[in-house]
Amino acid sequence: MKIGLQLNGRSVADDVPPRLNLADFLRERRNLTGTHLGCEHGVCGACTVLVDGAPTRSCLALAVACDGRAVQTIEGLEHDPIVAVLRDAFHQHHGLQCGYCTPAMLITARDLVTRNRAGSEREIRDGLAGNICRCTGYTNIVTAILHAAATLGAKAGSP
Amino acid sequence: MSDVRGKSRFGIGASLPRKEDARHMLGRGQFVADVKLPGTEDVAFVRSPHAHARIKRIAVPPGAEDAVYAARDLPRMKAMRAVPQVQGFKPSDYPPLATDKVRFAGEAIAACIAPTRAEAEDIANAVTVEYEVLPPIVDAASAVSGAASLLHEPWGDNLFIERTMKGGDIDAAARDAAVVVRRDYRLNRQAGVPLEGRAVLAYRDHRLDELVVYSSTQVPHTIRLGLSETLGIEERRIRVIAPDVGGGFGIKARLSPEEVVLAALALERDHPVRWIEDRSEHLMTAIHTRDHLYRITAYADSRGRILGIDAELVVDAGAYALWPNGPFLETGMAARNLPGPYDIAGWRVKTFTVATNKSPIGPYRGVGRPGACFALERTIDEVARAVGRDPLEVRIENMVRPEQMPFTTIAGMVFDNGDYRESARRCADLIDLAAIRARQRRGEPDGRLVGIGFAAYAEQTGHGCGEWVMRGSPFIPGYESCTARLMSDGSLALMVGIQSHGQGLETTLAQVAHEVLGIDPARIAVRHGDTSLSPFGMGTLASRSMVMAGGAVTRASRLLQEKILKIGAHLLQCDPADVRCAAGMVVGPGSSVSIDEIARVAHLRMEALPEGVDPLLDVTATYEPELDTGVFSYATQAAVVAVDPRTGLIELLDFAVVEDCGTVVNPMIVDGQIRGGVVQGIGNALYEELIYDAQGQPQVVTLADYLMPGAAELPAIKIGHLYTPTPYTEFGVKGMGEGGAIAPPAAIGNAVRDALAAIGAEVNETPMTPRRVMAAIRRARKSAPGAG
Repeated sequence: MKIGLQLNGRSVADDVPPRLNLADFLRERRNLTGTHLGCEHGVCGACTVLVDGAPTRSCLALAVACDGRAVQTIEGLEHDPIVAVLRDAFHQHHGLQCGYCTPAMLITARDLVTRNRAGSEREIRDGLAGNICRCTGYTNIVTAILHAAATLGAKAGSP
Repeated sequence: MSDVRGKSRFGIGASLPRKEDARHMLGRGQFVADVKLPGTEDVAFVRSPHAHARIKRIAVPPGAEDAVYAARDLPRMKAMRAVPQVQGFKPSDYPPLATDKVRFAGEAIAACIAPTRAEAEDIANAVTVEYEVLPPIVDAASAVSGAASLLHEPWGDNLFIERTMKGGDIDAAARDAAVVVRRDYRLNRQAGVPLEGRAVLAYRDHRLDELVVYSSTQVPHTIRLGLSETLGIEERRIRVIAPDVGGGFGIKARLSPEEVVLAALALERDHPVRWIEDRSEHLMTAIHTRDHLYRITAYADSRGRILGIDAELVVDAGAYALWPNGPFLETGMAARNLPGPYDIAGWRVKTFTVATNKSPIGPYRGVGRPGACFALERTIDEVARAVGRDPLEVRIENMVRPEQMPFTTIAGMVFDNGDYRESARRCADLIDLAAIRARQRRGEPDGRLVGIGFAAYAEQTGHGCGEWVMRGSPFIPGYESCTARLMSDGSLALMVGIQSHGQGLETTLAQVAHEVLGIDPARIAVRHGDTSLSPFGMGTLASRSMVMAGGAVTRASRLLQEKILKIGAHLLQCDPADVRCAAGMVVGPGSSVSIDEIARVAHLRMEALPEGVDPLLDVTATYEPELDTGVFSYATQAAVVAVDPRTGLIELLDFAVVEDCGTVVNPMIVDGQIRGGVVQGIGNALYEELIYDAQGQPQVVTLADYLMPGAAELPAIKIGHLYTPTPYTEFGVKGMGEGGAIAPPAAIGNAVRDALAAIGAEVNETPMTPRRVMAAIRRARKSAPGAG
């Protein structure tokens, strides 16, 4: 089936099998390998991307269902100012180990920060419920997001 | 005891942010599935739906004959056969693709190849296999005393090995005991679940006449050896690359049948082939772990001093012995760690390592010890209750004292140094034991019951040659290697045989080299995970990397330094005894010269070299620690729980660790390893379980069934440190990667026991699910005086 979508800000057209999921479309057809597959049944969250701005499991979304929509992956967020602050915080607070869950963690964290859902440890922990990290035990991820949210809040507050 | 943190900005003791972070945060890490090679086709496996069956016939759908490979189509593949040098151990042949029989649900029977995984799965689904179903062996304990069928017919039974290990006089302990405590404990079966599953990509490089195998493995060099043996190819013709590896935890430290099959397929096909494990395959067929059953009798005096531990241990080892070590490693580790960090005079463990129709067990963070710790630490609490004393006090009194070090346990473990009791006292402070006791007296407004529990361990790390020989390991991971190559511009490359998959070794090994040479870590590249780049190494497992590879980097850096100083002194026209390395310079009495300049001379201006000094700054060193019985990290962990007696639900309110791993290279990374290990241990304690039905059918095949800890149900993990450098390693470091995972089941088990003390219930099986907690509460109420 023919589809057309906005992918990381660019128009992309392709002819895809109806059963192709968004993750395989991104990874195999667009070489966007920063989107990782951890379970392929919507539990671990490692494949999270933004579809029309909302965090979405790309393993459960069909590519054909993204026709006409805007998809952003970690590669498309390289110059995003919020993700830049989050990257710095993850780096300083050791918020990643093997790095496999990291792109989706950053995308989810960005969503929490932009929706003002990163104000406390409790809020962040609940907000990360859909993203599994097997390495860090989450403490440093939570700390990093708290710090990033504070930094971004201070920036937004300054004239 | 000294605090060795933060001596320099980049070197040992500095919380240097990691060199490996940037690529991962930009989505530019390279895991096996990210490697793109033209013409690659995907592999899906036909896997057995039965736990135990004879294969009668394999029928390939018309038109797919060229796409399907069964064992008969890949005749060069030999069975994987682990032959540990352990007396009485019965080896098993594990064919990479099943030949006459399948021995667990999920075992691979045929490989199907197509341009995409989806199409490969279509073919796999169309292959029909006729089976003669055999009775499965599912329950290990009942299989000890005879079974309905045999997994490996020539054995005559289903025991890999039956062995009793003992020390001291257990009969004397029984005679002298004022208190006898008997309990059964069970740690159920688990998976490792690194977030990246296993993955293999293989192809032939015709120019180099080489078989190239990308694999998500912790042990690339031993995988090369395994492929050489199973495929009959010289090692010079095999290159194994482990690129970014998305977690391993032991699960990726053994040869997988899929690695052998993909390598064999690459030799048959004229295009690259890859297999990316899906999560159901992981839960059914990757290395399984734990599944220990303990029957413990503890003998103690009237103060709770433990005189002896007499135990039976049954380990459900699954269907095959994994290459190269087999399952007795797990059993032996559990048995030998049963006395824990305690001074116990009598010890006897009768062990049974049982073959069952399940995926084989192998190493997973903690190896053997979480079970031993759970059984022992729960028992210590019961001993304390039996003598009417506080479990923490009884625990501390039984611990090996600093003045007894070095101390050989009754099971032959040699503790090098440390103050185990102090870790327990500080842990009680860190978790605020007094405040929890006060809270317990007040009670909870919601009717829940709060409890606190402690558990301690000593973790053998960085063990050398003698220890591995004693364990009967076919290969002896008693050393590591490093090639240090100073480039002509003074930048440095370290090629190491270990493999980093989240531990941050690209950063910490650069810190170690910086400590010796003074070169900025930003100018040091650590290369690992490629058999063509580095000398042979045993890989990252057994909490050995910082001791072993850190030691090898230190040695290689010192060799470089010797030569650098010699050349530097010559350039400065002074005596080599009068120069030293500092901050990237060689400093003499009156002047200095940069290492960059020395590197330039060594490569490009040999006329300036001193007489008798060869060009290049390129050295290879190996390192084995001075003490081959290992250096012991240790810790006490504490858990605070709230148990709802109406639902059985456990909430973990707080968790604390006070540990000592000697000199800390990077405190930030060490704390990260502790927290990660602890949370895996919490999964062990509360959530994770692989369940099989009576037919040997796996009941847990997705992450919706296999629950792992998420951010929402965890507290922040508190950490405290003691610093006791060991005299037996470079810089006094000890390994510590696994420790965090050892004690949480025990600490949480004791906390639950404490919470349910008034009811008299105890939960002696992991995971401590609401169902198990409620069953324990009902049992206790039924047997309580006056119940009926």
